[in-house]
Amino acid sequence: MTDPIVLLQILWTGTVTAASLVLLTVAFSLTQKVTGLWNFAQAGFMGVAFYTMLFVLNDLALPLWVALAAGAALTAGIAVFTEAFGLDTLRARRSGNLTFFIFTLISAELIIYVLTLLFGTEPQTLFPSIMSPIHIVGGVAISDWDLTAVGITVVMLTLLSLFLNRTKEGQFLVAVADNAKLAELYGISAQRAYRVTAIIAAIFITAAMYLVGARAGVTPNSPMELILSAVIGTLLGGMGRVFMGGLATVILALLQSYSVLVIASRWQNLLLYGFLFITILLFPRGMHLPRLRTRRAPAPEPSV
Amino acid sequence: MSTEEKFGWDRRRFLQALAAAGLALPGTAGTVLAQGKEPLKVGVTLPLTGSEAGYGVDFVTSMHMAAKDVNDAGGVNGHKLELVVIDTQASPQLGINAMNRLATVDKVPLVITAWSAVVKAQAPVANREKMLELSVGANAPDIANLGDYVYTLFPLADVDVTALAKYTHTTLGKKRAAVLYINNETGIDAAKIYKTVFEKAGGEVVAFEAYDPKATEFTGMLLKVRAANPDMVHIHGLLVDVPLVMAQMRQLGLQQRISSYSVGYNPKLLTQLGAAAEGFIVTSLAPGVADNPNVQVLLDRWQKEMNRAPNGLPYMQYIFDSVLVAARLYKHVLDKNMPITGTSMREALLAVREFDTPMTGKTIVDGHRVTKPVYLVTVKDGKFTPLTKLN
Repeated sequence: MTDPIVLLQILWTGTVTAASLVLLTVAFSLTQKVTGLWNFAQAGFMGVAFYTMLFVLNDLALPLWVALAAGAALTAGIAVFTEAFGLDTLRARRSGNLTFFIFTLISAELIIYVLTLLFGTEPQTLFPSIMSPIHIVGGVAISDWDLTAVGITVVMLTLLSLFLNRTKEGQFLVAVADNAKLAELYGISAQRAYRVTAIIAAIFITAAMYLVGARAGVTPNSPMELILSAVIGTLLGGMGRVFMGGLATVILALLQSYSVLVIASRWQNLLLYGFLFITILLFPRGMHLPRLRTRRAPAPEPSV
Repeated sequence: MSTEEKFGWDRRRFLQALAAAGLALPGTAGTVLAQGKEPLKVGVTLPLTGSEAGYGVDFVTSMHMAAKDVNDAGGVNGHKLELVVIDTQASPQLGINAMNRLATVDKVPLVITAWSAVVKAQAPVANREKMLELSVGANAPDIANLGDYVYTLFPLADVDVTALAKYTHTTLGKKRAAVLYINNETGIDAAKIYKTVFEKAGGEVVAFEAYDPKATEFTGMLLKVRAANPDMVHIHGLLVDVPLVMAQMRQLGLQQRISSYSVGYNPKLLTQLGAAAEGFIVTSLAPGVADNPNVQVLLDRWQKEMNRAPNGLPYMQYIFDSVLVAARLYKHVLDKNMPITGTSMREALLAVREFDTPMTGKTIVDGHRVTKPVYLVTVKDGKFTPLTKLN
């Protein structure tokens, strides 16, 4: 089992399997960063994205791009609706953190319940076949799905980074995330920033659910499992550090994958919960990578 | 040629057979009487929602078909048979809740149930409340030891898994097997049986791996299997995970022949896996269409009423028959003027013992077990095809 091909295969599969979870973690972490909320309603949005795509593909028999567009549009619509008519109302009432938490959790359950009534509970995949063509590269099996997952994730993370760092709208999000009240004094609308964040999160969620649903069966309850990974990634990466959350998700997925070499497969999930437990107790602000300190050259002596 | 012409069996004749078997009041227009007397309740606890609902909902549909047949034939001594169905989501806790409700609110003397974890969880309630619990489809071997009021109409895993493991070694000539199983009641005991029987037959189990019931990624486990180089892989999981494990196996280049038990007998699996399913062997504890023409009639009925084939056909055959067994037990109790209680139903089961059922043939309750032939089915040219029958 220490064959380099095996290790490389686990590295590759572990990384690509984490791709969808990275997108979900980024959506969750970005929302947490900008709004300050643990928005568990995103579990419901995941369900909306998946079942919208499923409906468009299977019932309407429309092309994939239409399904993706419809999934993103409806998910964004519901996310903005929840923001405008739910969370904004609670903010106006100056509700406590617990109220927000319960509201988002109940929103998720409500959406899941409706999806269950509409679509039933049988596991569904987006496409009839779950097989994906395989290419062997240096002894490592790489499927088309793998390449799609990596491609989508890299492109979306790059676009998000550019958006946050290079556009005025993105800078507004960062400003609101840093201090919403101060940002408003400078004429930046926090409410608009929250809604833009909801739309971005919806797009990430749709992409993630496309990857999940193309590979495995999804039931209305599946998102509750998925959001747990997003929460753990957010916690491990450190609150407010969106891309670190994504990286933490990949590291955790790889740890789980490699753990099979030393422990039985059935213990893999124990690692996940164990990490969560330890992180909350010992690293409440997330794990920080040690900074590399470069020795500065001594300042030149002032000439006399 | 229609199925009825081909096999000489149709629904009318089936109803006549029920009447002849004594389920209907002899010499009367049973349907009319069946509407006048108090209905006889049969408790049913199956997953109608949740990940196993794909099977549970179809099972209940088939049970309603069977109950309709009984009632159309005049019911049981003029009483209509009424199913009281409660959703368990295949969850032991919900199964217990359902059982308590059936005992205290609906006061049913007899409950038909399935899923090993649920059957086991419900057993203490059945024994305490003296309700006859009939397990149909659950196959954990220790179901035979759950108490005086728990019986099975479905052969337990030691029957089909034993036959499959022996066949794999002796007939297929496989010497090195890998066993992958879901880490719950369904997988643990059955996997142990497969391992024991395969090794006893002279084979070697080179990988024995359990996976988490919520897992969707199996690469690490499958690479272990690849390193062990088996010549056969047996997967003992559930409806959701078996196709996933198989798909990932093939994608990692593992081309070994795969076997599973009845859960793999699912048309959707063929669509999901395509050519990757070729050669897949599943057990079936019920006769197929080639062995029993009644099965084709039921399939035709499904096609006509539901416009599709049912999920989990072999299980469904047992489930269909279980309603007729319940009717037969009620008839025995009524004929003997016994009170309608779980104790009477249990006594009826032990007294009647042999049931000639239309979908699965003769069923003999032998203590807390039943013994049936095992049918092996394989995927050939994208279709489930009979492989052999093992007695």
